[in-house]
Amino acid sequence: MKSVSTQRLVLGFASLLAMVLAYALVSNAGLFRPEVVPPAREIAVAFTELVVGTRPPPVTESDVHKGHHGHSSDHVGTLLQQGVTLQGSLAITGARVLIGLAAGVPLGVLLGVLMGWSRRADDYLHPIYVLLRSVPPLALITYVMLWLGHGEAHRLIPIVYAVAATLVIPAYHGVRDVAGTYVVAARSLGARPWLLIRKVVLPAAGPAILDGLRYAVAIAWMTAVGAEMLMSENGMGNLIVGGGLWASRTQTKADPAVVMVGIVALAAAGWAMDALARAATVRLTRWVR
Amino acid sequence: MTAGDPPRLRLQAVDVGYTYSGRTATQALETISLDVHDSEFLAVLGPVGCGKTTLLRIFAGFLRPTTGSVACDGSVVEGPGRERGYVLQEDAIFPWMTVRENVEFGLLARGVDAAARGATSREMIRLIGLSRFEEAYPKELSAGMSKMVEVVRVLATDPAILLLDEPFGALDAQTRARMQDELARLWERRRKTVLFVTHDAEEALYLADRIVVLSPRPGRVKADFRVDLPRPRSLEARFSPAFSALKRQIWEALG
Amino acid sequence: MPPKKNNFFLGPGLRTRAARAFLGVGALAVLYGIAAEIGRGRLPDRIWLGTHYVENVQLLPPYRSLLEETAFLLESGILLDSVAVSAGRVLLGFLLGGALGILLGIATGRAARAEYLADPWVTFFRFTPALALLPLFVLWFGYGEGSKVLLIAASVAVVTLLGAHQGVRSVPRVYLEAASALGASPGLAFRKIVLPAASPQIFASLRIGLGLAWVTIVVAELIDARMPSLGYLLTLAGAYPRVPTMVVGIATIGALVLAFDLLALAVHARATRWMRRTA
Repeated sequence: MKSVSTQRLVLGFASLLAMVLAYALVSNAGLFRPEVVPPAREIAVAFTELVVGTRPPPVTESDVHKGHHGHSSDHVGTLLQQGVTLQGSLAITGARVLIGLAAGVPLGVLLGVLMGWSRRADDYLHPIYVLLRSVPPLALITYVMLWLGHGEAHRLIPIVYAVAATLVIPAYHGVRDVAGTYVVAARSLGARPWLLIRKVVLPAAGPAILDGLRYAVAIAWMTAVGAEMLMSENGMGNLIVGGGLWASRTQTKADPAVVMVGIVALAAAGWAMDALARAATVRLTRWVR
Repeated sequence: MTAGDPPRLRLQAVDVGYTYSGRTATQALETISLDVHDSEFLAVLGPVGCGKTTLLRIFAGFLRPTTGSVACDGSVVEGPGRERGYVLQEDAIFPWMTVRENVEFGLLARGVDAAARGATSREMIRLIGLSRFEEAYPKELSAGMSKMVEVVRVLATDPAILLLDEPFGALDAQTRARMQDELARLWERRRKTVLFVTHDAEEALYLADRIVVLSPRPGRVKADFRVDLPRPRSLEARFSPAFSALKRQIWEALG
Repeated sequence: MPPKKNNFFLGPGLRTRAARAFLGVGALAVLYGIAAEIGRGRLPDRIWLGTHYVENVQLLPPYRSLLEETAFLLESGILLDSVAVSAGRVLLGFLLGGALGILLGIATGRAARAEYLADPWVTFFRFTPALALLPLFVLWFGYGEGSKVLLIAASVAVVTLLGAHQGVRSVPRVYLEAASALGASPGLAFRKIVLPAASPQIFASLRIGLGLAWVTIVVAELIDARMPSLGYLLTLAGAYPRVPTMVVGIATIGALVLAFDLLALAVHARATRWMRRTA
């Protein structure tokens, strides 16, 4: 048993290391244009600058001779001008994700439980659900903006919408497929609806819902970043796309080094949140046979 | 109530029929009329698919018969009720609760306070010899133990009528024999009205006062006879000539 | 005759359920119509957009506006062109990514070592929001078809890789043991047993991937709006803004997603007929 998990760790780590080293070698070898494959050094520089939050030193003649391109600091410069830092952006996006989850999870679970519980509700609501979830959440962003103006709402609503839509199906199946037998037993024991839902339906559907939650976390991050890339002056999406007002967004050429930093940071944050969700799931489903 | 009066009816099915709707409608039961008397241990015996689970579900109040009606203590059955304790064929022990919490559940539903619940559940668990597992989760129990917990879970609410659906079907022969003894012992202590569904003739003979044999689908009552073997029934009873004679009767009735 | 109420395990017949479905959706449609009528007089018609006012914004366009808009978009060919382009990208990216993901997933499912090696890469892509990759893809593959199709392919590949991997890993050992006891070679066992046993999970992940593909393409087209595309349509509608266009655009996207999903379901049902008991 031990050899399997160590083998897994070793190979995984080796693969990761190999990836990083290979990238560093290839990028520094100057085989590709720096705009396309940013040298590892530039990535590191961008990372530090974004974390520390100070303006990069102005480009000098000697820098240009060394091959350090001036335009690559435009992106960073714009960001720093607005007071954007890597950790700040990550925190903001993370906050949006958490708010979206806090609102979307109960909504989705409630709807799914309702549809799974009552055949009647299922018949009426399921078609409506299928229609609504076919609409990609971010397509709504401009429409919401017309109603509610330029604020947090048009960024948060797509996230809540996406999270809720994701959780309906796991909750639905959890109640319908898993909880059925237990509900029969509980009802013969005299359980009334409130007790039934609290102590039988929800725990029985719990594992399915927790699985759905992990997926919803990934969706929440994706939607948050997307919304920020479209219409936000802060957050990771904004960092990646380059800051500035949305009209000029498509014009600003993104610095690949910054994009890399952003992607790696997002992957790390997403992984961390998933690991948390996974740990919570294990803890809460210890009773599963 | 004088000695001459017939025991009162606890459950009554009159011309009950049930057809499952769906792409191909299947008629599970066809005009079944059945009377279950107070304190009677009645076994419903039949081959797989004869509709015995359907009948039990109807008595339990989870299915509404397509024809005929079912009554409990004189009033028409509209849904599940505390007076009819129901142990399903499937695994229905709540895996997210400990054994004790499972057994206490019916009492919790009734609003009994924690101390009283604890006392009753402890006693019930002791009865089946699982005191060691009081705080364990179902995943640590074997199939047989699990089922017995379900039985005492129902017994804890002290229902007048017990509906048991092939509770020992998934167990091996030895465990099954042991569980049958446990059940018989529990029944001896408080004579409840029991409606017990099984496909095992020996089990029916060992446990019941009366056996009703159902035909294959659609289920109809084929035979109905008393089992006058003395109680309490022991291992020897299984090998007595009276037992074998009855068994032959049953096999002939099953066709 | 006892009154006909819901049986706990079996519901009312198909006809009642279809009727309820229509009622539900119908009620929603009617509610919208009512809301649009109420809104006609009450909702603000001029919206401040940060730098200027916009006139005649119908926040809840009544059905007549929507029909006029749909007619206009259809006649001018804008809608159909956009649908063709966007759906084409989705399909291409989906097929590409799906195939790649399944192949890789099978490979990692069969060989544990391959799985350990691939793990960091898969994890990396899995938690990277696809849209974050867009600027990178644009830099690498230029502004055009390539970057969008490949972006979709990347997200679909991750999902199908995981699905295929799980599917292959979870084939019960008994099947394989039975196969080798019957004298089947590893290749035959793989083709005739592992793949069919894994197919339900593979199909399930393909269906999820399809949904993901649509979400990705819409946002990709919103961010980098150009040429006929549904995203471009939405961006234009947002720029004016013209709400009827927005609504028609969103409805079209929704209808396409739904259509693709139902198609995938039909294929899935057909291919897994053996899984469901007919009794």
